[in-house]
Formats: sequence, structure tokens, C-alpha cells
Amino acid sequence: MMEIIRMVVVLSAITGLSGFVLSGLKVWTNPIIEEQVLMNVQGPALKQLFVDSTNDPIADRKTLPKPGSEGETIIVFPAMKDGKLQAVAMEASGKGYGGDVNVLVGFNVDKDNLLGISVTTHKETPGLGSRIQDPAFTKQFKGKDPAKATLKKDGGDIDAISGATFSSIGSADAVKQAAGWYTALKDTIKTTWQ
Amino acid sequence: MASLMQEFTKGLWKELPPFRLVLGLCPTLAVTNTANNGLGMGAAVIFVLALSNVIISLVRNIIPKKVRIACFIAIAASLVVAVEMLMQAFAYPLYEQLGIFVPLIVVNCIILGRAEAFAAKNGPMASLADGLGMGIGFTFSLTFLGAIRESFGAGTLFGVSLFGPGYEPFTFMVQAPGAFVCLGLILAGMNYLNIWQAKRKGVELDPNFDAGCSGCGACKAMDKLAAQKKLERLETAKG
Amino acid sequence: METFLLFISAIFVNNIVLAQYLGNCPYLGCSKEKGVAFGMGAAVIFVTIMATLFTYLIQAHVLVPFHLGYLQTIVFILVIAALVQFVEMFLKKMVPPLYKSLGIFLPLITTNCAVLGVAILVQRKEYDLVTSLLYAVAAAAGFLLALILMAGIRERFEVTRIPRSMRGVPIGLVMAGLMSLAFMAFKGMIA
Repeated sequence: MMEIIRMVVVLSAITGLSGFVLSGLKVWTNPIIEEQVLMNVQGPALKQLFVDSTNDPIADRKTLPKPGSEGETIIVFPAMKDGKLQAVAMEASGKGYGGDVNVLVGFNVDKDNLLGISVTTHKETPGLGSRIQDPAFTKQFKGKDPAKATLKKDGGDIDAISGATFSSIGSADAVKQAAGWYTALKDTIKTTWQ
Repeated sequence: MASLMQEFTKGLWKELPPFRLVLGLCPTLAVTNTANNGLGMGAAVIFVLALSNVIISLVRNIIPKKVRIACFIAIAASLVVAVEMLMQAFAYPLYEQLGIFVPLIVVNCIILGRAEAFAAKNGPMASLADGLGMGIGFTFSLTFLGAIRESFGAGTLFGVSLFGPGYEPFTFMVQAPGAFVCLGLILAGMNYLNIWQAKRKGVELDPNFDAGCSGCGACKAMDKLAAQKKLERLETAKG
Repeated sequence: METFLLFISAIFVNNIVLAQYLGNCPYLGCSKEKGVAFGMGAAVIFVTIMATLFTYLIQAHVLVPFHLGYLQTIVFILVIAALVQFVEMFLKKMVPPLYKSLGIFLPLITTNCAVLGVAILVQRKEYDLVTSLLYAVAAAAGFLLALILMAGIRERFEVTRIPRSMRGVPIGLVMAGLMSLAFMAFKGMIA
């Protein structure tokens, strides 16, 4: 009996102690990890979108409430030049063929049109659906009015990639979602980075 | 002090893992497609191995015999989780590169093998020396294997081009088959060295020198079973 | 069709031992005799399925809701260790014949990285529960296949003259390399 008690006590002491230490470590590393993930996953896409900005969009990012869903938030990345806000980008997702397609969508704040899009992560078939990353597809969104940035079958101006309809729909859905957020948050965004 | 030194240096050559002490083959094969990945994996293993050795040796007297493996696993797993978080925070690209082999450090037999064979029987200082030595030896081996595979397979070393743009990469080396063949040939080379050394000294070689994974009990148990089955077969054949 | 492709891909193209480098220790250590290899493989199939099921449920219903995702490694390995212990006790009491053939392999499986590897892989690939279980079956079957093939070749080694320094693990690794090369040919089947 003594032995069983001792076993239980020792095992729970070890797991309890390690859980305590690890949660402390988690609290310490969490903000650093978030920053790292943004830098390595969204960083390259942001660089593609904001060609002539002078700020660090990751350091200047702001978390805003997600329009339409209570309690959730989205991260908005600003592009500034000479201290003036030029464009913002936010990440939205749509259902593709293999899973979620995450797209970073940039908006020009002066003209309220699309600055461009850049795919951050996706699970589409290599060589087929993965072509949503290619400039041939993404450049179609550049300078478009968000209302027109839908696929041709939905009355927009965007050509779907042949053989990758689901992936194209997923990307277009993501753009539509982001456009909805942008319209709702437009006024907040324009006053946030002054 | 001399004995501490001995515990430390044995991991560097005499019991160099995984070339002499065949332990932890999965990460050795999986992450050594570049020298850099080998080095990163090695660093993570040094951290876990040294700390787990010290902690286990400190608590070795209060751990009941029956649950000691469970305790060892719990300690090693906590350290691995710590390594995962630290790597994500400070070496994110490397963490992505190594993939599932970072969490799999916990089942790397080098950790449990050293805990069982050394840390559970020795003091914390000796265990630290043992863990550091073994870890550094492991890192050295992985970096060495990674350097060979990377330089042939991609024509680069630590990402620096070696042979100029005209080099046609021997991609076999960075893929799975290359990993197996390369490690096999290195182990054969180590064996050859052993045999040659023994001959020169005029000593009879330990007949079990090629028995392999001496650390985890799995192979020994399997060997025994295979031998037993063979014996049964022979007996039925005779009868 | 999808399921069939998943099976073929997990068994042949992305064979867990020969292409994903998991479970190499038992692959090289326990494949000296076909009977032993079969027993080990069968035990691994059994434990992998159970472990994938349990870890999947724990991840979905405990770790994710309580934001404890960072404890995945420690929870998974402890679940697997406990599961193996439990299965061993259960078989010993309830199904003695099965225990007789699989029992001795069970304690060795806790530290088999294929089991933990599959449990973590299905989480990283974000499969649903059914796909996860199918993947676990296929991956473990691939392990069994590699183990049995290797054991068949190993039995031949006994009557072959092998250079002394190549004996044991080195020749096993070179063989594994050749088998892995052969399995790479299956890549053409799915593309």
C-alpha cells in the first residue's frame, strides 16, 4: 500500500511540477512565437504586397474586432510611407480543394480598391491548385474594385484557373470575406494609424 | 575530476553515438539532408539529454523502481516541450525544417537509453558530463553526415556553394535511400577501423562488436526470441 | 477513390520506414526472423490504431478547448505509454492466446517512434477522425510490409558471406537504402 501511494505521489509531483514550469515558459515565449510565425508565414507575403512602404508592417500591426462575429479578432497590417497610411492587408481564408486557402488581401486606403493578394498557406494539389500562388492568377486582383473581384461565373472579372476551379473559388471567397471586413472597418482603419 | 573528464570524452569517440553506439537512428537519417539541420537537431538533443540526465540523477533515489520508465518519459517529454517552444521562439525556420522530429526526440532511444544506463546509477555531475559528451558526439555525427549528404546531394555546405554552378547535384544523397546507404557505409567504416585497431594491438575482438543498438533493450529481446525460435525449428527438424 | 489513394500512398509511396524514416530501430533490430517480424508488425498495427484514436479524441476534446496545444508531445507520449500498459494487462487477463503471441512486443512499442509519429502526423495534416484512423492502419501496414521484406532478406544473410566490417547494422542499412530506392519507383503510381 505504501508503495502505491509513493508511486502516485512521485508521478503526480513530477507531472505537476513540469506542467507548472512549462506553463510559465509558455507565457514567456508566446508573444515571441506569435511574432516569429507572423514573420515567417505572413512576412514574405507582406513583402510581396507592400512594395514601396517604409515601415515594418508586422511591428505596426493592430488587432481589431472581427466584423460580424462577436468576440473574435483579426490582425490588420498597415503599409505606410512618410508617416502616412497607404494600404492595409488582412488575412482571410476560403475553402479550397484540399483544405483552407489562406490569402493575405491588401487594400489601397485612398482609392478603396484592391492593392493585390498573396497566398500565405494552402493545401492544394501541387502543380494544379497550387497555381493560385502564381502571379498569372494573383495579378488579376491588382487595382480591382472589390465588388468586381469575383470569378467570372459570379459576374466578376477574375478568370478561374482551368483544372483548379475549387482552389480558385477558395481564393476568391477569401478575397470577398476580406473585402467585407474592410468595408466594415474602413473608418476605424483610417483613424488608427495617424 | 579525471573520471568526469572520462565520462565526458567517451561520448566523443569511444562510445560515439550513433556511429559506435547505434542509438537514435530515425532523426539521424531524417534530418541530415543538410549540415545545418543536423547541427540544429544535435543542439536540441544536447539540451534535452544533458538536462534529463541531471534531473533524473537528482531524483533517482525517490523514484520507485516500478514506475521509473514512466517518470523518465515524463521528464524527457517536459524537456522536449520546452525545446519545442524555445525553438519556435528563437529558431522558427529550423523548427519548420525539422518537422515532427522535434517532438519525436522524446522517443529517441538515446535519451531513455542514457537515463537507464547511466543517470539512474550515477551522481548529477557525472550524469551531466555523460549527457554533454554524448550530446556533443551526437551533434558532431549528425553534422558530419549532413555535411557529406549536403555536399554531394546539393553541392553546398551550410548553404554555401562548393563546386560552382556547373555541378550537377547527386540528388540520391539528399533523398531517403541516400540517407540509409550513407549511414550504412559510415558504420561499416567504423567497424573496419575497430577491426584494424584490434589486429594491430593483437587483441581478440569482442565477438559482439557488431551487435548494434546496445542501448535499447528491444534488439536484445528480439535477438533472444529469434535465436529461441531457430532452436525450436532445429529441434523439430531433428525430431 | 480518395481512400484507396491514401492507402496506396501511405503503404508504398510514403512508406513510414523507407520514406519517412520512422521506426528504424525495430526495423533494423527486430527483423532477423519472419515470425518475429510479423508479431512485431501486428502489435504495431494494433497499438498505432488505438493510439491514434485516443490521442485524436484527447486533442480534439481536451487540448484544443483548453488551449493546451503546446502540451501535445507530453500528453501523447504518456497516453501511449499508459495505453500500452493497459492493453498488455487486458490481453493477459482476457485473451491469453493473443497475449502469448503479441505480449512480449508490447512493452517495446512505447518507444517506437512510428506510433507517436503517426499520432502527431495526423494532427499536423489536420485529418478528420476517420481519415486519421485509415491513415494509421495504412501506415502501420506499411511498417509491417517493410519489416517482413527485410526479415526475408535477413534470413538469407545467414548463409551469405558478408565482409566482416559490413556485418550487422551496416549491411542492414545499405539494404534498407536499396529497398527505399525500389519503393521510390511507386511514386509514379500517384502523380
